[in-house]
Amino acid sequence: MNITGLIRKEFGRIKSDKRTLILLFFIPFILILIFGLTTGGGPTAFFNAAIISRDEISCKGDFSSDSDEYDQIFISIVENNCSAFGLYKSFNSTNELEYNYSIEACKELLKNELIDVFIVLPANFSESVKNEVDPVLIYYVDGSDLNAVNSIEVAIQEPIALFRIETDLLTNFTTMAPYMEFDVPFWESQILNYAIPILLSMIIIGTTMNLTSLSIVAEGPLPRMLLTPAAKNEVIASKLIAYSVIMVLQSTEIFVMTAFFGLYCLGSLFDFYLSLIVIGFCGISMGLFISAISTTEQAANQLYIMMFIIITLFSGQFISLAPEIRPIIYFLPLSHATPLITEITLKGFSINLKYVLSLGLISLIFISLAYIAYRFKKVEV
Amino acid sequence: MSSYNAVKIMVDVQNLNVAFGNKKIIHDVSFSVKKGEIIGMFGISGAGKTTIIRVLTCQIEKKNWTGNVKVSDLTPAKKKNHSKILANIGYVPQLETLNLYFDFKPMVNVDVFASNYGMNKKEAKEIARSLFTILDIPEDTWDKSLKKMSGGEKKRVSMALGLIHRPEILFLDEPTTGVDASKRYDILSYLKKLNRQLNTTMFIITHDLEAALICDKVAILREGKLLEFEVPQKLILSLPSEGLVVRFIIEGLNNDKINIIKKFVSVQKIIRVGNEMLEVLMNNFEESLPKLIQYMMEKGIKINSMSRDVATFRRYFQLRIQEEEEKEKILM
Ligand SMILES: Nc1ncnc2c1ncn2[C@@H]1O[C@H](COP(=O)(O)OP(=O)(O)O)[C@@H](O)[C@H]1O
Ligand SMILES: [Mg+2]
Repeated sequence: MNITGLIRKEFGRIKSDKRTLILLFFIPFILILIFGLTTGGGPTAFFNAAIISRDEISCKGDFSSDSDEYDQIFISIVENNCSAFGLYKSFNSTNELEYNYSIEACKELLKNELIDVFIVLPANFSESVKNEVDPVLIYYVDGSDLNAVNSIEVAIQEPIALFRIETDLLTNFTTMAPYMEFDVPFWESQILNYAIPILLSMIIIGTTMNLTSLSIVAEGPLPRMLLTPAAKNEVIASKLIAYSVIMVLQSTEIFVMTAFFGLYCLGSLFDFYLSLIVIGFCGISMGLFISAISTTEQAANQLYIMMFIIITLFSGQFISLAPEIRPIIYFLPLSHATPLITEITLKGFSINLKYVLSLGLISLIFISLAYIAYRFKKVEV
Repeated sequence: MSSYNAVKIMVDVQNLNVAFGNKKIIHDVSFSVKKGEIIGMFGISGAGKTTIIRVLTCQIEKKNWTGNVKVSDLTPAKKKNHSKILANIGYVPQLETLNLYFDFKPMVNVDVFASNYGMNKKEAKEIARSLFTILDIPEDTWDKSLKKMSGGEKKRVSMALGLIHRPEILFLDEPTTGVDASKRYDILSYLKKLNRQLNTTMFIITHDLEAALICDKVAILREGKLLEFEVPQKLILSLPSEGLVVRFIIEGLNNDKINIIKKFVSVQKIIRVGNEMLEVLMNNFEESLPKLIQYMMEKGIKINSMSRDVATFRRYFQLRIQEEEEKEKILM
């Protein structure tokens, strides 16, 4: 007995379930298409920046990274390390007079399109970094170019991420963009980019769960299969393998599309791809579990919807839970999936093993439960 | 068929008892089946037919049953025997939805099941061809959608799948239930044909008593007890006067009249088979019949018509169950 026949059978069954396949591949396609079109060029764009530092620690003229002069580190990063930014000019303005002069100069540069943005580092910049309180970063853009406004909003995360890595800074930046008298509300593209990790996670888990949630319960001849030398663990394994292959195809689709549309990803795209697979596998495991414990297709469908609502609502992303029930967050995949993607795409960190392990553990738990449930399931022909 | 094969015991069941918790389902059942025999398992719903077959097909855990059971010389009591036993038996469930992937073509179904037995595609295809041919499944449907097939064709594909790995024993659950009356005999004759050509031992679970026509032996089950395990013809011959019956159509037939007839000395069994129709079994049939007619006339019972016949298995089954019920009544 070998399992390849069972796996071929699973592929045949998946292929004949056109509706599920459409959901699986079409939803991410549409999502990324919409986001890809609205967020524009992403990291391919290049911006010229000017920086005004009001940081009060005086300049000593050297830019070594172990110095306390964090403003200089930031400026250096924008000048030398960023793919999205180049430094046009920097100003040191520790007193009001200098500052007013710098601002006027920058406005002039902006108007003449010599720069696309100017960034102001506040007086307590180095101090906040040292004390690990969220440093504030203020930037001004030319409000007439909507595309640039959106793109810079995203791109500004790059120097921030690089700066945080360089300085081992744990707290996040507070970015402010004053004088935003444009049509597009200042928070919109922010939402788009913060929404992508959670939306992607939700869609991957939702569709992969949907893919597998009927895989056992809706297979009429499955009990009969067990009257051949096929064993129950082989049945489960064949399903897991076949559905994982389909899931990897979905991850590949998402990966290729995000790369194509230049969706903003500060970290490594390979890490991003791996994360998608880890998340998809979790969805498959949960779907398999649903299918193993359900006695009818209807029950499986209901359970699927219930699980989906629970993992979305209680993932800590939408509502904040009372402290007593907060631990349940750790058992829900979305709570790990969303930060896993966020850290890679928006913060430029590499894949976080803590989240990967959590998701792996959740998958393992669900697969084990599915197997146990299936072992004890009364299968009669 | 070699003489060795003719006597080879394929299934041996000795003192089988099955219980689920405190509920005893099968009581001390023993029988053995030789290679190539067709066994009909008869009994009303809940008699335990499926349960016995589920023991033979390794579907009931050992903790639920006792006794010596061997299926092609291996006992299902040992878990390690299961895959060997399962490789040597075929199973055709009652419903096609439990046996066929409707989304797949017949030949793809063949591939799916055959691969579970470690057969290669070519070998499986060849066997499928010969089985489909025996079963008159038109060649142009082999690679078309199963969904488009008729009920009878699906049933036959299902039977072919049960035999795809050339098992020595084939179990069929209610093969004629839900099949058009006109197709029931077709199914039965196909089974007989397969049995003759492949020498496959067959177990047919059924409450279709006509199926006894193709059975070498019948098992009659009632409330978990095996009442008979015998050649059907022998059972019929064991009836009074070797199963000869007289059939009367009696005007205004009622229980009073039946009781009057019952009192006649040679009368052994009476079965009411219709509103006004009775069948009577007697000792010394030829001598007793004229006397019975005279007796009925004397008692004012009007006979509208009369015919003689030999009891069918259906009658035997009814009588046997009736007898058992009467025994029980006396005990109570
Ligand atoms: N797993 C089980 N647990 C408890 N009772 C069972 C189980 N399986 C069958 N039975 C009971 O055993 C009896 C015989 O069932 P079955 O063998 O299916 O009868 P048949 O096939 O002759 O209709 C029925 O009363 C049924 O309720
Ligand atoms: Mg039954």
